[in-house]
Amino acid sequence: MASKPSFSDEISNLLYAAKGSPINACIQCGSCSGTCPVADYMDQTPRRLIGMINANLKDEVLDCNTYWFCASCYHCTVRCPADIDIAGVMYAVKRYSIWNKTYSDDLVGPNFSEAWVKMIIRSGRSYEPILAPTYMFQLGTKEFFQEALNASKMVMKGKIPVLPPRIKRLDNFKKMIRRIIPLGGSS
Amino acid sequence: MNDTKSPPLQEEKVGVYVCHCGTNIAKVVDVEEVAKWAEGNPNVAISREYKFMCSSLGQELIEQDIKEQGLTKIVVASCSPHMHEGTFRTATENGGLNPFMFEMANIREHDSWTTDNEEAATLKAKALVNAAIERVVHHQPLEQIPVEINPNTLIVGGGIAGITAALELADGGNHVYLVERQPSIGGHMAQLDKTFPTLDCSACILTPKMVDVDHHPNITLMTWSEVEKLDGYIGNFEVTVRKRARYVNEEHCTGCGICIEKCPFKVIDNEFEAGLGERKVIYRPFPQAVPKYPVIDKENCVYFQKGKCKACEKFCPTEPNSIDFEQQDQILKLQVGNIILATGYELFDVKRIPQYGYGQLENVFTSLEFERMVNAAGPTEGKIVLRDKETAPQSVAIVHCVGSRDENYHKYCSKVCCMYSLKFAHLVHERLPDATVYNCYIDMRTPGKGYEEFYDRLLKEGTNFIRGKVAEVTDSARIPEEEGKIIVQVEDTLIGRQRRVPVDMVILSPAMEAQPDSQEVSQLFKMGCDFEGFFIERHPKLDPIATMTDGIYIAGACQGPKDVPDTVSQGAAAASRVASLISRGTVMMEPIRASIDADGCSGCKICNNMCPYNAIEFLEEEEVSRVITALCQGCGTCVAACPSGVITGAHFTNDQLYSQIEGLLWDIQSLEPVPAGKEE
Amino acid sequence: MKKYAYYPGCSLEKIASSYHKSTIETTKIFDIDMQELDDWNCCGATTYFHVDGILAHTLVARNLALAEKEGLDMVAPCSACYKNAYFTNSLFKKDPDLAEHINFALEEDDLQFQGDINVFHLLEVFANDIGPEKLKEKVTNPLKGLKIAPYYGCQVVRPRKNGEEVENPQYFEELIRATGAESSYFPERLRCCGGSLIMTSRVPALNLVRILLESAEKNGADVIATACPMCQVNLECYQNAVNEEFGTSFHLPILYFTQLFGIALGISPKKLGFGIEMVSAKPIFKKLLAKEAN
Repeated sequence: MASKPSFSDEISNLLYAAKGSPINACIQCGSCSGTCPVADYMDQTPRRLIGMINANLKDEVLDCNTYWFCASCYHCTVRCPADIDIAGVMYAVKRYSIWNKTYSDDLVGPNFSEAWVKMIIRSGRSYEPILAPTYMFQLGTKEFFQEALNASKMVMKGKIPVLPPRIKRLDNFKKMIRRIIPLGGSS
Repeated sequence: MNDTKSPPLQEEKVGVYVCHCGTNIAKVVDVEEVAKWAEGNPNVAISREYKFMCSSLGQELIEQDIKEQGLTKIVVASCSPHMHEGTFRTATENGGLNPFMFEMANIREHDSWTTDNEEAATLKAKALVNAAIERVVHHQPLEQIPVEINPNTLIVGGGIAGITAALELADGGNHVYLVERQPSIGGHMAQLDKTFPTLDCSACILTPKMVDVDHHPNITLMTWSEVEKLDGYIGNFEVTVRKRARYVNEEHCTGCGICIEKCPFKVIDNEFEAGLGERKVIYRPFPQAVPKYPVIDKENCVYFQKGKCKACEKFCPTEPNSIDFEQQDQILKLQVGNIILATGYELFDVKRIPQYGYGQLENVFTSLEFERMVNAAGPTEGKIVLRDKETAPQSVAIVHCVGSRDENYHKYCSKVCCMYSLKFAHLVHERLPDATVYNCYIDMRTPGKGYEEFYDRLLKEGTNFIRGKVAEVTDSARIPEEEGKIIVQVEDTLIGRQRRVPVDMVILSPAMEAQPDSQEVSQLFKMGCDFEGFFIERHPKLDPIATMTDGIYIAGACQGPKDVPDTVSQGAAAASRVASLISRGTVMMEPIRASIDADGCSGCKICNNMCPYNAIEFLEEEEVSRVITALCQGCGTCVAACPSGVITGAHFTNDQLYSQIEGLLWDIQSLEPVPAGKEE
Repeated sequence: MKKYAYYPGCSLEKIASSYHKSTIETTKIFDIDMQELDDWNCCGATTYFHVDGILAHTLVARNLALAEKEGLDMVAPCSACYKNAYFTNSLFKKDPDLAEHINFALEEDDLQFQGDINVFHLLEVFANDIGPEKLKEKVTNPLKGLKIAPYYGCQVVRPRKNGEEVENPQYFEELIRATGAESSYFPERLRCCGGSLIMTSRVPALNLVRILLESAEKNGADVIATACPMCQVNLECYQNAVNEEFGTSFHLPILYFTQLFGIALGISPKKLGFGIEMVSAKPIFKKLLAKEAN
């Protein structure tokens, strides 16, 4: 009889093709959090997050902002003495959170990721202006205007594409994607 | 397939015993069924199953059956021969038969412990038992070979392990050769300042033992020497030792040290002073060196390099002069009965972890450098100072687990670093009472006697303990308080926050590694080392000081990281094992050896070069090869290699092996070979 | 003549067009032909991996398959594209399950991937194929007096695990010295710039940028040389935002290493894509001219 996988099992399963040790090999040494350049801004450090995953504290883990602040710099992965792919764990929790829609609304990350994915599916290339609404409106008033000014300067210097680029064989591309994940009406 | 097997010479009466081993075997293998089935073999007189064959009652069963039933051969189907072959051979012998009239079938490690499938396991057990029965009927009686033990012992390595073993054996009246690679004995312990947890001065407790070794009539000390070759076998080893030239005549030298004083040239001392201090080109590693004779560092000596100077010779007061630039290496051949390897450890090269800043940032030190610094006889006379040799640090961070407990470097824990890191913290508190000390650790490992109490003492002395593995050591300051300091970036896991701790000095506690040439050494001494380079013991729990090679023992850090009390214990244990062999005087060796039928030998000499133990000699006059029985380890290489098929491996004859194979294949329907190229 | 399949990545079209231009110009001098992949798609950067691992690898693999079709090794100037391509390539070879998924999807575009190619970062091409000696030989306009801070960033170096190379690489410094410039001490050279966090988590990313700018400026750098469009944009285009947020006053020019090498090799600034800087690069040129005049 199959038993329901625990939260830590689920996260381990999402570490697709990651090299290295399973999450429960963590000795809680703290190298990852000591290295992480954005650890100060996270409400739980990476080490704590892994501890919480191992303890199956699903709701608390999904409530954290830790993994949305991860910059994927991989410094933690490289230094981990237990050879755990910690950046990979962050990705895994992100995936779990996006597919289960358990993220809090004031986080930019999830919306940004969804917008990005849709953008790529639509045209096969990235186009920054589409992403702007996902984060611009989360900024405070002052920052919003700063960013708008910044963006317009960049446009004037010719740094922002005006028209969205597309790849030529876009139909094939979309079919390719559907072979991996069946997508409903996103084209 | 050899159809010309010789039939057994007499009618055999084999006794078969199938063991339950509690549930270990019986849970998967139907032992009653196997025992019953074995009765069907025409050679079997009696077939039993029993709960625990290795118990006294089980053994007595064998003995009784031999006497009462007149059994001629015994088969026991149970665990691995590694466990109880000895037990059952003895039982066979006690029953009145030659102990080699016994064969063991492993139906546990090879059968019941490999599968849950009861049907398959029982079938395999039948095959294994049948194989044993078919083989055992061809067994011949064999006698063990007595070997005399030479009472001399060779001890390789003059650290505290080697010194302890040497004194134990020598005090017992046995002669010891102590060979040490460095110019003096003492090893790493001589470099230390204080030892944990008692804070004994290391030199004070070590040097009396060194002096004892120096004066002991039963110890022949050879320093600045190395073992080059080993021949022989337990009780009869021949060791070739190269005694390197010191360029100082030991017979005339009085150890006055004037040559050292007058030598005009200094070099950085990378061995004893860990690169922190200097020594002269003609030198003694440290003042209490044993033996007292200095040695000339040929590579840096101006005379040897350019033909000038010779100040040491000019000022040497002895008559005749003790300096001898013409001195040659001596090759000595020693005859010994046993060898103890006590070759010690090296420290992990911390440059392999660049983010800890050693070599890039000035004031990052290794543990050995710091030991020399705090040593009163060291390069800073015991003062804790930065690299400028003047400024005392106001804050010190001690980093645990550098290269240990790390999949990227060494997976193991080095056992001693937590303790000596605490010791360092104490020494800093003692000598710089106003300094702040941080110890950054993953776990505090203090298992020995008085060790946890030592940790408690450090807690009370006001050490700041940060539980977190240091992520990096950097000089990149982000706030004014960090300017000019070394910053240790670490997560304080007990409060869940990343901290940047600005300090003046950082001490790294590196892993304890095996000596870099341990693999070559283990090959030289015909034993093995593991993937980390540590020598392999015969059994990790029950026999940590013996190796798989008879006559070679190990002691100390070369077997694995350990502290001084454990090292001394192992040194004494190895000495005791050797002493017991010496007092026995003779040792019985397994008769499983090869022998060559001289009549059939064609003199091709193929076997001579194949033998890994150099145990085959070629007799020039008779033009045949002959096995030197005592050197032969019974590996079987020559038996297989001989193109004339005239070499026999005792207890592994062709008859025995072919019968065993046929016995295994008892249930094969047809004996037709499978045609090549066709898949079945 | 060495030929590579050139995978520019989305950024090099517009926002990092100077990187693209300077790459083509400088590699030409060393007889390296950067043949742009036909109809390449976005690598997904880090963000695609937030949604699904297999899908993300498949999108990257399409580009690898295109390169393999040409029979050429791939070179990516952008660190994110490089990291994705390199690790998809190596995982493909190790994991037959992933390989199956990828080839199953690639069928739709009449492509298949066998895992027969290698992937390099543009910086690696300069460090290995060209090397400091050859670079020095072709330098006609040595950058004497200029202090360049070598910014590796994250994904050129990580996540490989080989001690010295990952925590203490020196090849960028060696290349800089070969151009005649001084490589300034930059202890934060392996620190993350924040990447896409600049949009999703603004303040932490701005802090990271500040740390980098501070470290470079404190040690006297005249310019930071980058090897990734994301790094360059974060460090340059957001310098104002950093100044506003933290009250600092940075004006540090941030250029692509190919632009700086290009100047040393005597190529005209226009060809190297100069002219679209948000933080003016004029101080660099002034310094170089002044040194020349002396």
